Amino acid sequence: MSDDTWLLAAAGTHLKGAVAAARAAGGRVTVLAVGPRELADAAAAAAPDEVRWLETADDQPAEAWAAALAAEVAAAAPHVVLAPSDPASRTLLAAAAVPLGAALLTRVLTVRSQDDALVVDRSSLGGAVVETLTVQGPLAAVLEDADDAPPAAAPATVAPLAPAGAPVPMQVKREPLPGAAAGIRDAARVVSVGRGLRSKDDLALLDGLLAALGAELACSMPVADDLGWVPKERYVGRSGQHIAPRLYLALGISGMPQHLEGVRDAKVVAAVNNDPAAPIFRTADYGVVGDLYEVVPALVAALAE
Amino acid sequence: MRAVVVYAWARSAAGAIVHADGGVEWRHARPVAGEDDPAAVAAALAVAGPDGDVVGLTLGDADASWALARGAARAVRVTDAPASDDEGVTAAVIAAGVRSVADVDVVVVGDSEEHPGVAAAVGARLGWPVVAGVVSAAPSGAGIEAVRRAGDVQETVVVTCPAVLGVAAEGAESRTPGMKEQLAARKRPVVTTTLAELGVDTLPAAVVAGGTRLPEQARTRVFEGEPEQTARQLVAALRAEGVL
Repeated sequence: MSDDTWLLAAAGTHLKGAVAAARAAGGRVTVLAVGPRELADAAAAAAPDEVRWLETADDQPAEAWAAALAAEVAAAAPHVVLAPSDPASRTLLAAAAVPLGAALLTRVLTVRSQDDALVVDRSSLGGAVVETLTVQGPLAAVLEDADDAPPAAAPATVAPLAPAGAPVPMQVKREPLPGAAAGIRDAARVVSVGRGLRSKDDLALLDGLLAALGAELACSMPVADDLGWVPKERYVGRSGQHIAPRLYLALGISGMPQHLEGVRDAKVVAAVNNDPAAPIFRTADYGVVGDLYEVVPALVAALAE
Repeated sequence: MRAVVVYAWARSAAGAIVHADGGVEWRHARPVAGEDDPAAVAAALAVAGPDGDVVGLTLGDADASWALARGAARAVRVTDAPASDDEGVTAAVIAAGVRSVADVDVVVVGDSEEHPGVAAAVGARLGWPVVAGVVSAAPSGAGIEAVRRAGDVQETVVVTCPAVLGVAAEGAESRTPGMKEQLAARKRPVVTTTLAELGVDTLPAAVVAGGTRLPEQARTRVFEGEPEQTARQLVAALRAEGVL
């Protein structure tokens, strides 16, 4: 086992933060990028020591190469293998963990060497606590996606990789998500509503606020799924839209982790909720404790001042 | 097609109390159905089809009847599965449980946000291809067509069997079983087995827990008071942030 760290990446998001985490884990940092050239270039821009790139066919998901790449990683025997949390990257990671004989931890924030062990901090209980774990032996870790940090060095060079193994037969067809291109995905400001809204008719209450902010309307999962008050393409959350507005204003949303995952990249999150114990008040940047039916008109008035 | 749906394989965060010092106390250590498990059952039923067979697989002292009330014909329960921080260990137990069921075409696991490595690791342990982050699935020839979303792109992945799907819930369970289904579930067969019977080695844990603490950023600035006052405070703060 070497003291090096590998990062397996099948998607181009959060790579700078992931490379920074890999640097902290120690040794030479190699990114194994599996996908189009743009992904390899994004990995190189995150400034690891090297990028090894496996180009996939347009209709081939990265996971088709999971077993073949696991053998490549095992041959290099790094002491730490990391991956961002997207489904393809963590599938590559889990495959690599088996031949490495590595422990598999997820939602990992940091990894550092200490004496002969690895000390891992990870997010647990939906982000309510940070748990510290000590790992003996190699580690495979799915990272908690972090805000991208600026790279600390010049871009790395990209070297093509030709695995000895073959891919398994898998095909992927990619299509734009209906209704996803416009609206909330590109909006600078998003006002989102949750179960704190009492009826569909009350959506009209938000019109003045949306206009005053120049914001798009979004919602939590139950408002689109259970109640059908807002079109499903405006639902923000783990299996819904992932957005990065400058301002995300959550009204009557409790702030469950699966919802907040959709706004992890928002610059500022503000929340209005009548429950001072609502989880969103532990994660938002700003909170107002109050009834949204009173606070929303007051916000419109304050914005006009 | 025979599908194994894995359910109630982890403790629920709802069963934990977080104390002011960041310590965690578990009120309920028993594995319970996770928020993605109903979607996993639905995907297993869809993939197996009307003439197929859905077998439940659960761990520890979970309520085995949960999936049986939702359409699984029978269940396997690994009674002494350990609650491990190492998701590879959890996956190894699940994979051994899957191997105890003959002629499995697909394994469906809830793609849990709290434990996002387990579904993929089950596939790795079995040596089967994995599609994670799936929101719906259907049979397709000799394989499966699985749909997932990545940003503003919808991906339809076709994979040949045997395969593992990690299914993420898009919404809350739309219909919970009634009393009649729950009573019928308790009459369906549940096979109990152990790690020893499955041939799972109980090696010393490579991962040792060292305690918990509250996250450092208790950073929310909360305004309380009259709506006019709090609204002005929030607007002023957002203007200062430069986001208005």
